[in-house]
Amino acid sequence: MPKNYWNPYLAGLLLGLTLLAAFMVAGQGLGASAAPKRIVALGCESINAQWAESNTAINKYFQGENAHPLKNWLILEVVGVLLGGFIGAVSAGRLKGEVLRGPRISIRGRLLYAFFGGALMGLAAAIGRGCTSGQALSGGGTLAAGGWAYMMMFFGGAYAVAWLVRRQWT
Amino acid sequence: MSNLFPLEFTGEQFRLLTGIGIGFFFGFSLERAGFGNARKLAGQFYLNDMAVFKVMFTAVLVAMTGVFSLSAWGLLDLGELWINPTFLWAQLFAGFVLGIGFVMSGLCPGTSVVSMASGKLDGFVTVLGTFFGVLVFTLLFDKLPALRSLYSAGSGEVILLHEIFPFKFPALCLIMTVILVALGAFIFAERVEKIYQKKLGPGPLTGPNRPRMKYYVLGPMFLIALAAAIYDKPVVPEPEPLDLVAIEPLNLAERIIDGDPTLVILDLRSEEAFAEKNLPGAKLLRTLGDPADYLSNLSEGMAVVLYNQQATESEVPGTWPAGLDYFAMRGGFEAWKREVLTPREMNGSSLKEQDFTRRQNQIAGFFSGTRVQSKATAPPPPMSGGKKKKKPEGGC
Repeated sequence: MPKNYWNPYLAGLLLGLTLLAAFMVAGQGLGASAAPKRIVALGCESINAQWAESNTAINKYFQGENAHPLKNWLILEVVGVLLGGFIGAVSAGRLKGEVLRGPRISIRGRLLYAFFGGALMGLAAAIGRGCTSGQALSGGGTLAAGGWAYMMMFFGGAYAVAWLVRRQWT
Repeated sequence: MSNLFPLEFTGEQFRLLTGIGIGFFFGFSLERAGFGNARKLAGQFYLNDMAVFKVMFTAVLVAMTGVFSLSAWGLLDLGELWINPTFLWAQLFAGFVLGIGFVMSGLCPGTSVVSMASGKLDGFVTVLGTFFGVLVFTLLFDKLPALRSLYSAGSGEVILLHEIFPFKFPALCLIMTVILVALGAFIFAERVEKIYQKKLGPGPLTGPNRPRMKYYVLGPMFLIALAAAIYDKPVVPEPEPLDLVAIEPLNLAERIIDGDPTLVILDLRSEEAFAEKNLPGAKLLRTLGDPADYLSNLSEGMAVVLYNQQATESEVPGTWPAGLDYFAMRGGFEAWKREVLTPREMNGSSLKEQDFTRRQNQIAGFFSGTRVQSKATAPPPPMSGGKKKKKPEGGC
């Protein structure tokens, strides 16, 4: 039997302390979308190095001595997220291969939504220099004005279309 | 007090490794919150499970209370932190689009990793989608000028929320206000949740409702922020050093002879060197205690002349009072001996040069004749043409 999730305020406390620790130890907040950006940059470079190094969206990841797209704190942090998520799921009996969806949608439909939702988020995170973690959470936690603007618009965007995709969840 | 945080690592490798540890707790707390579960997250937008709002807002409050309290106590240097620059239009647009993507996939880039790690196929597919979106951005960035201008739409400066108010609003006061607002928002969210849970049921794997927990978490945060607002010990930056203006030894000699009342001469050398020979009226700096204290007792506009054995310093500490004029005697005491105390041969050809040498020798005679300065001693006539410095010099 999978255990219940934690009380949200308690989970928020642990998440907040982790974010604070990131600032204290590494001098930067948490992030999740840097990893896809850098991995895509590495992929582009391995396919066509010349093109990748002239691409102004990703060439900053190759510049500088000893620079490697994956030699970055945020990459190792995401490795930690995978580990922490896995250990967390295993220790609570929540590790299970499945597709989580509402009662009114097929698995295929759910996965299509997941893919295109993910694609929109990848695009948005690239444009906005971060996602819910890098902008809303880390920006919010340092009182960065742009991070708070991002957070407000994030909830705004989600509520704006929630009714349209209700079949997927309810 | 110096800052303790962020930590400084001798090797970049070690700093990178801390990412795994911090990331572990990041992933673990997201998993414990239920954020590896897309249905749980989506509940936020169908109002039967407000965990996203509660967890995120609590985390933001805890982090900002910590960051700004530690900074107020001088333990954390805000200036050393990477803080998101403001590209307002890019952030507004991206936040909105990411919100749309969130309600479609039920996950965000961070939580999709946790979802994937706990075995959910929809989490894995969301991760794939994120890569696809990033790839589209990378391919289009150089082709679409509109995308580039959207990406950099905004000032790019670091602007903090408490700075945008038209009145002075200290960060910690803003944080206390936000904590109180959050408390109200949480109470409201719990009410809304209750109403919609009747229709849709509670979110998956939701434990017993313990609404008191928010007071246990936010209460201490409020008190910490209050304590930091009352007892703050901000890091005072070391003031910029003050520049020293060079003064010629001969020039200084004349001002001494004139009995210039604004002159304060400080000897930077050792006690032995000072005892052996010094400038008339000079004080030994190391016997004055804290020079800043001594100097702050002088009236404004005094000319403080410093000299060492040889070349003198080019600046003085910024803690010295700024209302005084600081000079350094060029060449130090060696130059004084060479140029002021040593009489010169009459070697100039022009009348002007002979005048100069005569004048210099009068000064030399003045200082070698009597160490005690008195008005009774007739000062030599002033140098012709005011303050002339040109003088052939050996060496450099």
